[in-house]
Amino acid sequence: MLEHFFLWLGEQPFSKGIGESLWIFPIVQAFHLVFLAILVGAVLIVDLRLLGRGMIRQPVATLARDARPWLIFALIGMVLTGFPQMAQNAAREYYSEYFWQKMYFLAAALIFTFTIRLKVSQAADGTVSPILSKLVGAVSMVLWGGVMVSGRLIGLFT
Amino acid sequence: MGELFLPIRHFAEWVNEIPSSVAIRESQYFSPYLTVSHVVVMAFVAGLVLMMDLRLLGVANMRTPFSELQRRLFPWQMFGMTLAGITGLVLAFADPMRFYGNIFFWLKMLMLVLAALNAMAFHYLTYFTVSSWDSGPTTPFGAKLSGAISVVLWALVIVSGRLIPYNWFV
Repeated sequence: MLEHFFLWLGEQPFSKGIGESLWIFPIVQAFHLVFLAILVGAVLIVDLRLLGRGMIRQPVATLARDARPWLIFALIGMVLTGFPQMAQNAAREYYSEYFWQKMYFLAAALIFTFTIRLKVSQAADGTVSPILSKLVGAVSMVLWGGVMVSGRLIGLFT
Repeated sequence: MGELFLPIRHFAEWVNEIPSSVAIRESQYFSPYLTVSHVVVMAFVAGLVLMMDLRLLGVANMRTPFSELQRRLFPWQMFGMTLAGITGLVLAFADPMRFYGNIFFWLKMLMLVLAALNAMAFHYLTYFTVSSWDSGPTTPFGAKLSGAISVVLWALVIVSGRLIPYNWFV
């Protein structure tokens, strides 16, 4: 069923149009990375702090509250620049193990970010054990790292 | 213009024949994973730089004094830049013929130099007045200007870096 969807998506005029243009795909791909940098910045500011590094004078909750709009902005930008790339290469993506690996990492990263990490980063300083804080920061970094690594591998090994 | 690049071309041709350059170029896994590492450290550096830029623009991290971001993030930015520099150098070393005549590669290098100059100009000019706007509700024009310039330059670094494989102008 999913296979049908991907094959159908690849046949749409929207998807074909991107493939026919010399510029659109590379430019979309490049801006995907600009949004990635914003995303990673917004994630790191909080994760470094959870690990006891970075801006240790600021409460975690303050940093997280300031970073959240940029995290969401970057995620929207990632989807808007990611979807056209997926549509243009739909069949290839469906059969790429790295594409699915990226999607699993992404699902895990999103769920983790908006449940456990959100809860821990909203808590007042001192109410969360340092070990839990560090663990949450490290898990977040590993999950987003997994998204990046497998995402970049899609185009390198097909 | 062609003669200008001649010494660079000779250098690139020389590097291209070094056995370790050939070995990395021909390895099945080393090169791709080097690219992957370069992208990950790029996001690390550019992400932290952009967070500081957006703070200068007065649109992000406003509950944290600017000097605090500067002091705490600068070491991480330098750490990331070192890794980005190492992975980037090895990438160029492994395939010099691909880079020396590539417009996007040189555009990226130029943007990196301009970004460094902009950061230095900010540090030696605008940063002197930081005490008057460190925790303020907004930032002065000079700070906004260097933040905006830095956002544009870093976006161009990323975009031109990603466009290197598309050799449209050769």
